[in-house]
Amino acid sequence: MSKVVLEVVQLTKQYGGKQALGGVSFQVKEGSCFGLLGPNGAGKSTTMKIITGILRADSGEALVMGQDMMKHADAVRHHIGYVPQEITLYDKLSARQNLTFFGEMYGVKGRELKSRIEEVLGQVGLADRAGEAVGSYSGGMKRRINFAAALLHHPKIVILDEPTVGIDPQSRNHIFEMIRSLRDSGMSVIYSTHYMEEVEALCDDIAIIDHGKVVVQGSLHELLEQYAVKAVYVEADRLEDEPSGAGVRSAVRSGRGWLLETERPLQTMQQISGWLEETGRTVRSLELKRPSLESVFLTLTGTSLRD
Amino acid sequence: MIRSIVRKEIQVLIKEKGTFFWLFLLPVLFIVMFSAIFGNTSQTVTVRYYDADRTVASKELIQALGGIKGFELKQDDSQSLEAQIEDIRSGKLSSLVVVPAGYGGKYESGAAAEIELYRDAAEDTAVAPIVAMLNSVAAQYKEGNLRAILKSLGNNDQEIAGMMQPPLQVKDIRENAVKLSTVTQVVPGYTVMFVFFIMITMVRNFMRDRDSGMVSRLRGTPMKSHHYLIGMWVPNILVVIVQCTVLLLFGKLVYGLNLGDVAAVALIILSLAVCCTGIGLMLAMLVGGENQGIAFVQIITMGGAITGGLWFPYDFLPKAVQAVGRFTPQYWAQNGLQDIMIRGGHIGSVWINALILIAIGLAGFAVARLRFNQFAGTAVN
Repeated sequence: MSKVVLEVVQLTKQYGGKQALGGVSFQVKEGSCFGLLGPNGAGKSTTMKIITGILRADSGEALVMGQDMMKHADAVRHHIGYVPQEITLYDKLSARQNLTFFGEMYGVKGRELKSRIEEVLGQVGLADRAGEAVGSYSGGMKRRINFAAALLHHPKIVILDEPTVGIDPQSRNHIFEMIRSLRDSGMSVIYSTHYMEEVEALCDDIAIIDHGKVVVQGSLHELLEQYAVKAVYVEADRLEDEPSGAGVRSAVRSGRGWLLETERPLQTMQQISGWLEETGRTVRSLELKRPSLESVFLTLTGTSLRD
Repeated sequence: MIRSIVRKEIQVLIKEKGTFFWLFLLPVLFIVMFSAIFGNTSQTVTVRYYDADRTVASKELIQALGGIKGFELKQDDSQSLEAQIEDIRSGKLSSLVVVPAGYGGKYESGAAAEIELYRDAAEDTAVAPIVAMLNSVAAQYKEGNLRAILKSLGNNDQEIAGMMQPPLQVKDIRENAVKLSTVTQVVPGYTVMFVFFIMITMVRNFMRDRDSGMVSRLRGTPMKSHHYLIGMWVPNILVVIVQCTVLLLFGKLVYGLNLGDVAAVALIILSLAVCCTGIGLMLAMLVGGENQGIAFVQIITMGGAITGGLWFPYDFLPKAVQAVGRFTPQYWAQNGLQDIMIRGGHIGSVWINALILIAIGLAGFAVARLRFNQFAGTAVN
């Protein structure tokens, strides 16, 4: 069993009487990518800021490598690399100057720092533009440097708060590749987002958070298996009325067709297919819908993740 | 860690071109402008006259008036006497000395000859030197008559000189190394005034870090609050030192400002730099936003400049304003610089000024340190 590098125990936090976290608990294993998924305002950022020591929890513990952040902040901060949601770089300075600054703030110096800067610049694919002012970069390039700034001190845990907001596909791919590479090298990554596709693409383990509480957590496979609704999508001529079939629990209009939630998707498909053929309808689409985290979230909270 | 923040801030500062305008170019422009206005003000009072008598005696009188240092006589032949008196009534002319027709005759006959001074009642200050000059000339004429009488009574020149010697004489002893002039007022005055504008740069930089999320991000590093505050403070102290050096050297090279004891000047500059940036540090931690910060900087800078004697010599200020001025850092800085530049002071005579300025700066830092958590609590994160 993998070693636990972060254990969050019953974190609570209030802002002016309003509860932001109501007892958040989860564990992150070494060398894994952990996804913290939830809608905006669910408490993801607050949780991350408590783990990084930016905020203090009202109660609970955040144990990093066995040490409580609130009691041993100085020691713990050396183990964490935090990539905030905002691009926090000095626009007038070059990427290399920004990285030098952040490296030194984490205590990396001299030749080691120079070598680490070249290394991370290579990882984010911006070595050739490192001397240019960050202000001249695109949003995606800035995000990559923003990410790189958190890696210079070889942290054990990298925390990324919505790192792909408003970026181009090329930068997104770079960031995804970096995350996979960091995970493969034994680093633990905590990835906060409200994009379920990103979590599905990157994360091994997931905690779904809503209204300041962890709704469910486990491996991606377990959650999909346990909570995702299986469904069949059908689109055909003259299909105004709700189709029915074996195991169909509900049918909802989706685009030009119907989405049928079912316990037995293969049998449902077979029945619908036969019925369409018998009634002479032209079938435009008949497909098995892949289980998604969106449906897991819907099942568990009764609301859509994007609401 | 502090060194890293200092270096980063200096790098950012160098790239901010606007900083150079506010801190260097604008004060130089002010010094040049105010030195030009006050430095070139003519010390000669122009006296307009009208000679209606046109006799030898009247010409001698005008010659005597014109010979007095600091006064220049001017006659306008193109206008009649009535027209010139009308100019006084309408405020176009402040005074007019008229030698009336018949003056020469009366003077030659030994009767009391009169000259007339027409003046604008609203221009007492401008006319006062002319009145004094006329009284002085009248006294000279009177003295001449007395000398003639004493001589006719058989006294020799030495005896007359002894009798005419006034019982009271004022001896003018100047204790200052350099006289108070426009340059010794304007150059240090505007230097001290403009260094306080560094507080705008400081407030802006702290707000930049707060609102960009930088403060929050840095709190996730092993950095301590005093690392951050000192790191942000030191570059501004250096800027002020460079600013003062540039402005005082400009005063020396262009206007021949006497710097006096350079070590003592350096001590005041260093203390002033600690002081104004310490206040800037405090302000940045106390204000809610950049605009509020700029408003406070204007109040501190302008208020201190007026009451601290930066715009006008401190001794010219009303007593109440002087009392307020002593509570401003500007007063202690200007007083220290003028002690060195005008009164030939050294470190021993300005150390109290330096101590007060440094104490204010350190107090600013202490308040900033206490307020840091509240400041960081409002930071974007």
